[in-house]
Amino acid sequence: MATQPTIRIRDLTKEFGTFSALSGISLDINPSEVVCIIGPSGSGKSTLLRCTSFLEEYTSGEVEIEGRLLGYRRTASGLVRESEQNIDAVRRNVGMVFQHFNLWPHMTVLGNVTLGLRLTKHVPRAKAQEQGRRALAKVGLENFSDRYPSQLSGGQQQRVGIARALAMEPHVILFDEPTSALDPQLVGEVLDTMKQLAKEGITMVVVTHEMGFAAQVADRVVFMDGGKIIEQGPPAKLFNDPQSPRLQEFLDTWKSRNMLFQADGRSPGTAEEGARP
Amino acid sequence: MATFALVLDNLPIMLWGAAMTVLVAGVAIILGMPLGLILCFGVVSPKPWVSRISRIYQSVWRGTPILVQLLIIYYLLPLIGINVPSILAAILALTLNTVAFQAEIFRGGLLAISPGQLEAARMVGIRRWAARYHILMPQIFRLVIPSLVNETISILKNSSLVSVIAVTELMRVSQQIVATTYRPFEIYIAAGIIYIVINLLLSLAGRSAERHLEQGI
Ligand SMILES: Nc1ncnc2c1ncn2[C@@H]1O[C@H](COP(=O)(O)OP(=O)(O)O)[C@@H](O)[C@H]1O
Ligand SMILES: [Mg+2]
Repeated sequence: MATQPTIRIRDLTKEFGTFSALSGISLDINPSEVVCIIGPSGSGKSTLLRCTSFLEEYTSGEVEIEGRLLGYRRTASGLVRESEQNIDAVRRNVGMVFQHFNLWPHMTVLGNVTLGLRLTKHVPRAKAQEQGRRALAKVGLENFSDRYPSQLSGGQQQRVGIARALAMEPHVILFDEPTSALDPQLVGEVLDTMKQLAKEGITMVVVTHEMGFAAQVADRVVFMDGGKIIEQGPPAKLFNDPQSPRLQEFLDTWKSRNMLFQADGRSPGTAEEGARP
Repeated sequence: MATFALVLDNLPIMLWGAAMTVLVAGVAIILGMPLGLILCFGVVSPKPWVSRISRIYQSVWRGTPILVQLLIIYYLLPLIGINVPSILAAILALTLNTVAFQAEIFRGGLLAISPGQLEAARMVGIRRWAARYHILMPQIFRLVIPSLVNETISILKNSSLVSVIAVTELMRVSQQIVATTYRPFEIYIAAGIIYIVINLLLSLAGRSAERHLEQGI
């Protein structure tokens, strides 16, 4: 029997009023796979992640997490909206890391990382703190437990965001542009943390503009434009031999912008470097 | 000197009235907090009918004079077979009133918190009411302390109106003293000063509460 995909998306559409943000997305994410999603701004990358986590209700199609339909129940008369409880149950093994971190500013770092454990898994405080410290150690912040988010750099805050997701021991983590809100010099520490997770075999879906990271870490890169998946494949293939003119154009734009970055010495690495290790 | 003696003579009973003022207004404010929060979550509820009803409640209580509300409740309760002392009627009216205003204050605080924080809570499985309790409430309270102090001061001042239903708070006591001494000027100025002192103490308490909660943000 073939292994069941961690996430299975079929014919997914999302409409905002009359505007179609996603049309006909089908995508499987397999266990231990790292999939990077790239594409121009407004192409529906965030919406795809938000529908995959049901932070946003999708309009039609199906999202399954480890074989269980997310957000709806199949009945004789079609799909019916599921109760919040059951949505939470299906989503239990999905973690998410946000562009703007979304930490809880009134709680310490350890408080942020353990709140989910305590409230949803009912782990007793001492045990939750132990697990939380372990998650913080994974992102290199074991000595920051008692700080408040506002006392940390952006890169550290995002690592807390990652630790918060990790603490719940999810089977897959969705990252929505985890480094886009960071100053360039802080991007590296977050990407390094994510590389480490990838090495440990954590299933990851990463929306990113960091082509170097995608080239180096992704098993598969998905290019989206206009709410559709235009092209997907291994990073070396996608970056070096794009089939569609739109991907070609996207990569060209990125390269010329990156050249500018190189000129002022802030380059985070290029697609080419990573694609030919 | 005679003035001073007059006020001094009546000070104990006036302070007794002031204590009653603080009691009536204080109980109303404190009861109003949890109810105001619930009404606030009602106003922002995604369920249209919950939001509609909450808004109607708000416009009724914010759009009518507090004296009218007080008199209606005072005369309505016996009509529906509920006989309570006038002090309870007063507390009830002030509570129902401040709930409407506090809900609006809390809503202002809520708007200042990024919705992303709630999405993060959902992604670690935290249920809606638990998220409100552990994530929103502590932040809302810290944000709205200055507005809550203002609302408390406003309720304290408005509580002088409950003298019309014979609650012997500061205003009523002052009126009674004036009726026997015929010295309105001195007595009402003394009453005014007592109100100011209470409100100053309140502002100080509010500021110290803010300092204590500053940690984190
Ligand atoms: N809540 C919303 N209401 C209306 N339109 C939205 C909403 N969220 C996203 N969109 C639209 O959907 C499209 C895709 O958005 P998004 O998924 O955020 O793109 P990306 O993450 O690729 O930049 C955009 O045109 C955006 O304006
Ligand atoms: Mg986006």
